[in-house]
Amino acid sequence: MTAGVYVHVPFCLTRCGYCDFNAYAGLDELKPQYLRALLGEIALSAPAWSDVEVGSVFLGGGTPTTMTPGDLGSLLAELRRAFDIATDAEITTEANPDTVDEASLSGLLAAGYTRLSMGAQSFDPAVLRALERVHSPDSVRQAFEAARSARYANVNLDLIYGADGETLESWERSLAETLALAPEHVSAYALTIEPATALGRAVARGDVRAPDPDVQADMFQLACSMLGDGGYGHYEISNWAKPGYECRHNLGYWRRQPYLGLGAGAHSYRDDRRWWNVRPPEEYLATVERCELPIGGSETLDAADAYLEEIFLRLRILEGVPSSWIDDERAEPYLESGLLTEDDGSLVPTERGMLLLNELVLGLTARE
Amino acid sequence: MTTDTSHIRNFCIVAHIDHGKSTLADRLLEVTHTVADRDMRAQYLDKMDLERERGITIKAQSVRLAHEGYELNLIDTPGHVDFTYEVSRSLEACEGAVLLVDAAQGLEAQTLANYHLARDAGLVIVPAINKIDLPAAEPEQRTKELANLLDCDPTDILHISAKSGEGVDELLAAVIDRVPPPVGDPTKPLQALIFDSMFDPYRGVITYVRVQQGVLASRARIRMFATRVESEAEETGVNAPEPTPVPELGPGEVGYLVTGLKDVHHAKVGDTITLAGKHGATEPLPGYREPKPMVWSGLFPADGSDYADMRDALDKLKLSDAALHFEPETSRALGFGFRCGFLGLLHMDIVKERLEREFDLELIATAPNVEFHVFRGGEMTTVHNPADMPPGGDYDKAEEPVVFATIITPSDYLGAVLGLCQERRGELVDMSYLTPERVEVHYVLPMAEIVFDFFDQLKSGTRGYASLDYEPWGYQEANLVRVDVLLHGEPVDAFSTIVHRDKSYTYGKQMVERLKELIPRQLFDVAVQAAIGSKVIARETVKAKRKDVLAKCYGGDITRKRKLLETQKKGKERMRRVGRVDVPQEAFIKALRVDDGSSAKGKK
Repeated sequence: MTAGVYVHVPFCLTRCGYCDFNAYAGLDELKPQYLRALLGEIALSAPAWSDVEVGSVFLGGGTPTTMTPGDLGSLLAELRRAFDIATDAEITTEANPDTVDEASLSGLLAAGYTRLSMGAQSFDPAVLRALERVHSPDSVRQAFEAARSARYANVNLDLIYGADGETLESWERSLAETLALAPEHVSAYALTIEPATALGRAVARGDVRAPDPDVQADMFQLACSMLGDGGYGHYEISNWAKPGYECRHNLGYWRRQPYLGLGAGAHSYRDDRRWWNVRPPEEYLATVERCELPIGGSETLDAADAYLEEIFLRLRILEGVPSSWIDDERAEPYLESGLLTEDDGSLVPTERGMLLLNELVLGLTARE
Repeated sequence: MTTDTSHIRNFCIVAHIDHGKSTLADRLLEVTHTVADRDMRAQYLDKMDLERERGITIKAQSVRLAHEGYELNLIDTPGHVDFTYEVSRSLEACEGAVLLVDAAQGLEAQTLANYHLARDAGLVIVPAINKIDLPAAEPEQRTKELANLLDCDPTDILHISAKSGEGVDELLAAVIDRVPPPVGDPTKPLQALIFDSMFDPYRGVITYVRVQQGVLASRARIRMFATRVESEAEETGVNAPEPTPVPELGPGEVGYLVTGLKDVHHAKVGDTITLAGKHGATEPLPGYREPKPMVWSGLFPADGSDYADMRDALDKLKLSDAALHFEPETSRALGFGFRCGFLGLLHMDIVKERLEREFDLELIATAPNVEFHVFRGGEMTTVHNPADMPPGGDYDKAEEPVVFATIITPSDYLGAVLGLCQERRGELVDMSYLTPERVEVHYVLPMAEIVFDFFDQLKSGTRGYASLDYEPWGYQEANLVRVDVLLHGEPVDAFSTIVHRDKSYTYGKQMVERLKELIPRQLFDVAVQAAIGSKVIARETVKAKRKDVLAKCYGGDITRKRKLLETQKKGKERMRRVGRVDVPQEAFIKALRVDDGSSAKGKK
């Protein structure tokens, strides 16, 4: 059995308006304590995972690169000591363009973080402002060049489309800029308005326009064609990669392989049980300091839950659902209307089908 | 022991809704020490929560006040045009009426209408100007207006403030002095008028009665004239103001009777109670009328499995609401429900609200309509459900009910009033100036034009100054059509309505525009059409949905996204399917919501 390990770093330089992750600006003084707690949690949880080979490690946040390469190095070293990490494991860290330079990136690479996922979001300054990102398009380019100079050979760029004021033309420019940098992997997300964020409140007040789903659909299709033409394979709704560079860690989530989440608010999954750590960093720290696992909640999936997850995750990664799982008359209308195709005994969403994935999932799993 | 009739006074208060009737009633309870100060609360006689919330009296109440050796029975009357018949029965129980007019606002149409009812019932009018302590009060102007109307000496008009109590003692004295005592022979066969009836879950049907002649004693065997039902009078009593049993009620007395009946339809408002057997009267009191629904609407449980509960709830409500009619109705779009008949929109609102509140039901109401006559091949059909209307105007003749409307407006707004009435297909009957500043206008208007938003429009066109009252005025021929609404080519019966041909386009356009906003985008373009027969008169399109996907789904998102999908799935299961189109409950509720003026008629 292969598992993934996720480590959550909840610190950020600033809080972006659209973000509803478990992330905090201004908690920097907790960093040393937080690193100790992560090491403590590794020790507490490792015994239960001793039978598992770890195929991927992913540092996410927040902004992991707000911690020093040295600290991140010790963290990885401790993970290697405590877990059976495969020699060819994929080791990723997220990075914010404003928190890295060539020296720090070299440090990260040397420490063993061989894959870099960078939050570029857009190359349009107006869009970056709308998203309340503090960096500029130039800093994305500089950070990317720095990664290359530091000899990073596996870099992802994150993009967000559909912010207030973004046009199809501006999105096309962002995609062209991305292609010009030639990263190995691209994630492109339709902006989603979460109610409990600054942006969500601004939309509710009417100060900011909510994304137009039709425009976002156009943007999605533009991304599909431009990235496809650029040699990127579309392997998940929001993810594209040069052949062989698909993110193994994330594929693990979608293939319902086990994963262990470490850090405040991180989720874990194994044997149809999912559990998650307490979210507030202070509570997380206090619990681990008492040598207790910081579990905040859990659920056990019953057959129906597991089936629903299986279906919607399989449809996301375009591996599709075996045709034999679904009654013909359920699938028929979607095959007819071109939202699904049948490929080698599997029902696979088309580009239009991907955009309507919730409909597909509901339609294919509807109760009698 | 019954009271000597010379010391009885039965009276009511005729007033426009916010002219202070309930406040005056409160004050009378206080001044006569009928309610101890510590038990006093505002709008004491409005017992139902709904009545207090809406600030209107729905059920008639009577209360006995003891004052200087006199027994004064104050009969509170329903304060809404939907209940005109109930008002007229309450008036029959009185010999006098206090005509209460707001010193700032002056006479209003409803007051005038009820004044006419009171005068026709032979009541002695005790006019009083209320709220004389208001800064905007114009008591002299009002006195002149009132004296003119009543053709009386201005000095006979009392000036009071129900709020402060000023002049209330004088008013009581005037009631005793001017209102004649009731007359009635205790030895004659019993005739008691039911002016209200209600259902108590513990005691069954309780009626409020006025004894005209004879004696109504507890334990007597009684008979209802109209329904021919007999039972034993379980208890007679008076409200003082809490129910207090008395051995009997004599001529001229007003009180309650616990009838021993279990169904309010056996004791109808306006019916006469007499004794069973050979001691009974041979004739009822005049004026009884079957309550007749004016407005019909289909009510459907939002959750189809609530149908049986809804039937039980309607059965229970009917026990206490004789005016409520219902019959089963099946809608292709909404499933099983009931076509219900109401006295008016306010009544409909109240019934719907009571069903939702007291019986915990969620309801969808179809567009209300009045009752039409349709002639085909020499036969007349009464149509109160659009489904029964021949589509495409395939009939020989159709008739719609009309009302005789009285509108009082400041003369400055006369143009606006006339414009509105013309637009609503009204026919001017006459108009007259009450004073140089105030005009009384009479119109014959189609009931369908008046029961929905007319009052709102009238109020907004006259800055709230105009007032309205109306009474049914028979039927007249009209060019009526049924407008159907189609989704993706499939007619939705719940949205069909009967309107005058001139209004069909407006209705159709409004419905398709509303539905365009309310129907969620589907996987295909949905045509929303309004049609008369096969002729489409309005159309909108709900464009196909293109995007419905969660952008991100990583390890920490999966649980939440699964739950989101489950919620979405439940929402979908709750939708109504019309052909291939999923329509949420909300769309039915919102598309069919009537922006009526009935709630605005209540006091603030």
